[in-house]
Amino acid sequence: MEQPDAVIHQPLRLKIMAALKALPDREQIEFVRLRALVGATEGNLGAHIVTLEQVGYIDVEKDFVGKKPRTRVRLVRAGRRAFENYIAYLREIVEAAPPPENRR
Amino acid sequence: MPLSRNEAETALRDISTAERASATTYGYRRASPYLVLWGVVWAVGYGVTYVRPQYTIIWPVLVALGMIASFWIGWKSDPAGKVDCRYVATLLAVFFFVMAVFAVLAPRTNAQISAFFPILVALFYSLIGIWTRGARMVFAGVVVAVLTIVGYFWFPQIFLLWMAAVGGGALILGGLWLRSA
Repeated sequence: MEQPDAVIHQPLRLKIMAALKALPDREQIEFVRLRALVGATEGNLGAHIVTLEQVGYIDVEKDFVGKKPRTRVRLVRAGRRAFENYIAYLREIVEAAPPPENRR
Repeated sequence: MPLSRNEAETALRDISTAERASATTYGYRRASPYLVLWGVVWAVGYGVTYVRPQYTIIWPVLVALGMIASFWIGWKSDPAGKVDCRYVATLLAVFFFVMAVFAVLAPRTNAQISAFFPILVALFYSLIGIWTRGARMVFAGVVVAVLTIVGYFWFPQIFLLWMAAVGGGALILGGLWLRSA
């Protein structure tokens, strides 16, 4: 069995990817909303966002609303595909292994 | 090292939880401006009808403006910039439903008509909430329905004013509450 995607295979990045995947295609989410959704600190979320952006799974857009800085994040096609592959990988494991009560 | 079945199941559960939470808050965010908009429409419509009952033209005007504004909100918030034709189909279905109900169960008083629409709207909010697992939407729907019924039966003399302040206010507050989710 192949190895899981090392970038997605991290608890917080997994949650970030799942939260982004639930949005319609091209829909962005504000950093503060994402932080509330995944229950992370600002610094921690920021670091994982950078990791996901560097591998090309997400797109980060920074602008200003009035004088307030705003960061918005969205899943891009490569990220969506990678996440779907990761889910398929997890399902494959669940389906391949017998449930715990059937094991001897 | 490959994952165990337990680890994979836990990860799938975490994904499902995060996706559901994200979808729910996204739904709240999309619904919020509509609630605020129609709250304002109600407040103005019922308020004017209470103060100047002869200004019956106010409702068709407000509803038309509300629908135009609703389409504008939908168009603006859709990143692809398309209007989903299901919204038009839904409006038509509701329109014909209301016409059919009024033909079969013709309301006898203006108060009945004034109470019917908020209850219908409350039903839609509750149904949307039930099907999208949006507890806040269900709550908003229940509050609007209960306030309408309370006003209709307990405060008939000031029912229109009640609906302007309490019904419209509940929708506006509900919309702001959804946005804060």
